[in-house]
Amino acid sequence: MPSVIERALQAALTDRFHFGQILIRNTNGSFVLSHRDDEVRTAPQTFRNAEEAVEIAKYDDAGNYRPLKTAPNLRHGWRLELATLDELRRALDYFYPGRLAVFAAWKNEQLRITPLRETLDRQSGMYRIAAKISDEQIDNVVGNFCRSDSGCLRTILWKRDQHSTIASTKLPPAKFDPLQDQTTVLDGPGSATPATAIPLLCQEPCNLLVAECRKVVKGESQLSDAIPNAFGTATGEK
Amino acid sequence: MTSRSNSALLIVGHGSTVNSDSSPPTLTHAAEIRRRKLFAEVGCAFWKEEPSLRDALFLFDPESIREVYLVPNFISEGYFTQTVIPRELELNGRITKRSNGQIWKYCEPVGNHPLMTDLLLRRAHEIASGIPESETSLLIVAHGTDLNENSAAAAKREAEKIRALGKYAAVLNAYMEEAPLVSDWQKLTKTANVIVVPFFISDGLHSYEDIPRLLGIASKRSTRLRSAGRSTARQATNSGTTRGEIFQRNPHKIAGRSLFYAPSIGTDLGFADIIIEQAAKFDSEAYPDRAAKLIAKT
Ligand code: SF4
Repeated sequence: MPSVIERALQAALTDRFHFGQILIRNTNGSFVLSHRDDEVRTAPQTFRNAEEAVEIAKYDDAGNYRPLKTAPNLRHGWRLELATLDELRRALDYFYPGRLAVFAAWKNEQLRITPLRETLDRQSGMYRIAAKISDEQIDNVVGNFCRSDSGCLRTILWKRDQHSTIASTKLPPAKFDPLQDQTTVLDGPGSATPATAIPLLCQEPCNLLVAECRKVVKGESQLSDAIPNAFGTATGEK
Repeated sequence: MTSRSNSALLIVGHGSTVNSDSSPPTLTHAAEIRRRKLFAEVGCAFWKEEPSLRDALFLFDPESIREVYLVPNFISEGYFTQTVIPRELELNGRITKRSNGQIWKYCEPVGNHPLMTDLLLRRAHEIASGIPESETSLLIVAHGTDLNENSAAAAKREAEKIRALGKYAAVLNAYMEEAPLVSDWQKLTKTANVIVVPFFISDGLHSYEDIPRLLGIASKRSTRLRSAGRSTARQATNSGTTRGEIFQRNPHKIAGRSLFYAPSIGTDLGFADIIIEQAAKFDSEAYPDRAAKLIAKT
């Protein structure tokens, strides 16, 4: 019996769909994956093993290690051909670890969302101090750190605190809408390729954001500086 | 371990935001265990990488997965196994029953398993095959003064167990930052041959650069890389050659002695067996009546 994760993936399978920066083309149950910018590029490096996604996802185009796999810096120039749905699931889990399972839980209304303040208050050791961050600093640091064009392609589901305050007023409404494909902010004018998308969901602030909040409290981060304009075409997500 | 159609295995590692070599051994062991089809699902989660420990709460479908064996890929008990993992994964002890009915079984860290001694012996033997053990000293190296793990005690325990076998002329535990110091290896040992095995979960700056420097076998180039700060793929590729070489150039000849330097023990493919055994051990301890069923078929 397929698991809920496989069922969620199967339900999302169209001839072509996006998962983060990946384009997945489905032909009669076998799959071709590439960077979504590389659809027409010829003779990229071709791989045929799901495990090879680990290496593809490890470094960006400039060769820098990618500590956050949902950052918008997936490298170009590869093509991954997979014969089965099981391999597709494994490969997608190497590209965007845990995101399919979180998507399936969300679809089934099983996903628990945790506000940032709750995550910060739970920390111990060197991260305990992060809870001292002010609301205004949070507004700015989230606005800078999580932005889709340069930070992270996930859709934020969590709130700032238990009062359901928005995580950051510096991000556009699309950043909080699972029906919006965050990668379209990376497209140049007219370059968007029509495809359905599985959203990369953020149900709880990641450890990297917690670490950044700690740096803010310790005065070691510039990311809490005010962002000049509120979201919009000028600064927000473009 | 008998195969379980409704059980999952979750391997939890530390991961790193700067070291690209931190999580690959955990992923490799998971892929190997997945291949053996002992569990319906095999997943990984990391403190510093994705999927996060919090993501792991959603990795296994409660409809099909009724129990989850959680094995920390750590050398010893410590801050992560005792504080961070239970907190992030909302564990109430060794056995946790979730509201969806899923049972989570919190196993001991990999480094605690008695088979670790055999693995260290095997690695020492492989790295210096054909060298008479009676003329060889074996050094098990841990960090020391590490507030987060009791790896120093774990290295000491392993050294004692291997020493008791009487195979090697001497077996010592040594540390990077506290006595007995790795850098004193020439004073600590008297034999013509010395084998050094880092008791770490993955390779990284410690095994590629710090310990070689302390042993006096580092190349100048790798010392420069350290000051470059963040690790990048280009550095990793360049230094990857340099770094890989440090294990290829055995034996290193120093002051008339032969020094054999091994990669971190956690990169050994035998770790997969120990992860499985650690899950099996949980059941044999928690349910002694079921122990008979847990005959390893790996
Ligand atoms: S908190 Fe979520 S959206 Fe922000 S960077 Fe981390 S994973 Fe991305």
